[in-house]
Amino acid sequence: MLKIKALKAGVENNLILKGINLEVKVGEVHAIMGPNGSGKSTLSSVIAGKEEYQVEEGSISFEGKDLLELAPEERAHKGVFLSFQYPIEIPGISVSNFIKTALNEKRKAIGLDPMPAKDLLKFMKEKMNLLEIKKGYLSRNMNEGFSGGEKKRNEIFQMAMLEPKLSILDETDSGLDIDALRIVANGVNKLKSEENATIVITHYQRLLDYIIPDFVHVLYNGRIIKSGGKELAHKLEEKGYDWITKQTDKE
Amino acid sequence: MSLVNNIKSYSETLELSSDKKKLLNSFLSKGFPTTKDEDWEYTSLKKIISKDFSIEKNGGEVSENKLNKYSLGFENKIVFVDGKLISFASINSVNISTFSDFKNSKSDSISNLNSSLATSGFTITVDKNSIIENPIEILFFNTTENNFIQYRNTISVGENSEARFIERIQNINCTSSLVNHFTQINCNHNSKVEYNKIQNNTSESRLIDTMEINQNKDSVCCVNTLIFGGSFTRNNLNFEQNGPNCESNMNGVSILTDSQLADNHTFVDHKSSHCRSNEMYKGVYLDNSKGVFNGKIMVRPDSQKIDAFQANNNLLISETATIDSKPQLEIYADDVKCSHGCTIGQLDKDALFYMRSRGIAIEEAKAVLTYAFASEAIENISIPEVKKVAKKLLAQKLNVDLDFSL
Repeated sequence: MLKIKALKAGVENNLILKGINLEVKVGEVHAIMGPNGSGKSTLSSVIAGKEEYQVEEGSISFEGKDLLELAPEERAHKGVFLSFQYPIEIPGISVSNFIKTALNEKRKAIGLDPMPAKDLLKFMKEKMNLLEIKKGYLSRNMNEGFSGGEKKRNEIFQMAMLEPKLSILDETDSGLDIDALRIVANGVNKLKSEENATIVITHYQRLLDYIIPDFVHVLYNGRIIKSGGKELAHKLEEKGYDWITKQTDKE
Repeated sequence: MSLVNNIKSYSETLELSSDKKKLLNSFLSKGFPTTKDEDWEYTSLKKIISKDFSIEKNGGEVSENKLNKYSLGFENKIVFVDGKLISFASINSVNISTFSDFKNSKSDSISNLNSSLATSGFTITVDKNSIIENPIEILFFNTTENNFIQYRNTISVGENSEARFIERIQNINCTSSLVNHFTQINCNHNSKVEYNKIQNNTSESRLIDTMEINQNKDSVCCVNTLIFGGSFTRNNLNFEQNGPNCESNMNGVSILTDSQLADNHTFVDHKSSHCRSNEMYKGVYLDNSKGVFNGKIMVRPDSQKIDAFQANNNLLISETATIDSKPQLEIYADDVKCSHGCTIGQLDKDALFYMRSRGIAIEEAKAVLTYAFASEAIENISIPEVKKVAKKLLAQKLNVDLDFSL
């Protein structure tokens, strides 16, 4: 589904990703872990198409198509979704209107008519139940005055509504208390299928107790320095990042 | 013929009282303001006054259908057609009467012209100790093509009373017009007044609107100005706080396209202590449109404990659109809190990326963010029907569809 080859990217002449190789297949869950400043968020921004980041070398293909040639909205239409580490507040737009606009824009791009309001309402309610979201929240302005947990839950709600093929969860666990973490992780697990894939980007192993990864990659200084199964995450939790980063620094 | 010549020959056919004559002569000696006048520095009347308008013609009619089209549907309606009072719903504790005493406190030439040419003025009086629950709609219809007309009203809200108004000036059966509108509002002790102006007239309409608001102690007055239509709009909004503990609020939204011009001049005169003023004007300028904002706040020497806030935020959507924004603070008292901010900018990049990452195409994302930017100034309107129509007009002008709610 997603193939990243020898990807070098950065911002304003500052190279952050120094040769990333990663392949994600349908049905898989990958976790990308790493200390602060290792390039985790840069990787997710580059996949989603944030314009400040320049790709110097390498390629990203998604279902065989060159992703780097596409505008951010076109990537979304193809099925790429990024759950933001810091979701943006948009005063003046309600959650329901935001999601309606996003959903119908995607439908338009793939040649479908806008979803009738009645169907949309039913669909929203279904996903709201899944994420234990209360009704009043939909008429609130997008992320405005939301707590950290509400913002993250809103990200996963959008993910549920947009039904992406590839979801990238960028530090979705940060700012969540244990109950919110459980609800969010539960939602992600329920949305998981044989037709989609998930990349979980996290600093801590905690989230991976709830969302069990098939693969764990350690990102450090712009490179994936170690890959393994879910047990790698436990080892990292136990021994800390120093355990592998020191070795890399020596080399 | 220029407008001034037309005014001259028209006035010769009238039998003016000596007061009116004085006002007319005062106008004629000064003429229309030019860009050399400080208050008109950025807004030129040249093109308008070189046009051949007829003056004060009336006699048109408005069908029930058209009336309903431009009304928000409130029962409390006061309807004027070409300056004539056509209907007035009977409202408990509200009276309407005519007056012919056309003094105006400001002696600018536009107001003098209004005072000298207006044939009848109306006073809407709200009795004291009365709360008028339902908003009162004031509708002005122009039906005569290419007509220059003066509208003149006074609204007086009695002590301890509350009233809310919605004003709309609309061309019907005609496209081109020039209106000189003068409204005085007297807010008596402890009264609460909200006045909403929906300015969405035809693309060939021009409006010079002046409001003089006199507030007595403990009164609250809010004026919301919503500019969507019209080729030329100049709003002079002047508050005078004549007693302690007054509050003056202003919200404004201008969404301009094509070659529209909208100029908002506001003036808050803090003449008394322990008063507040709050001002938020938002402007969105597309195509070749032009915006002007001038916000003057005066704090007189003995007016202590004043809390004044002013914000003027603008979005320039096209490269050929312009905005001239000028805050003017004159503070002569020392124990006051005054703040103002003026921004001219583009849309937030991070928000734009956020929306695009959700599949919203860039043009749609820009339109939605613009909508969000402007709608902030609409949120403070207390009448849901006005809020709704304002948001609808806003969405229409930006071509976005955001009326989905649960």
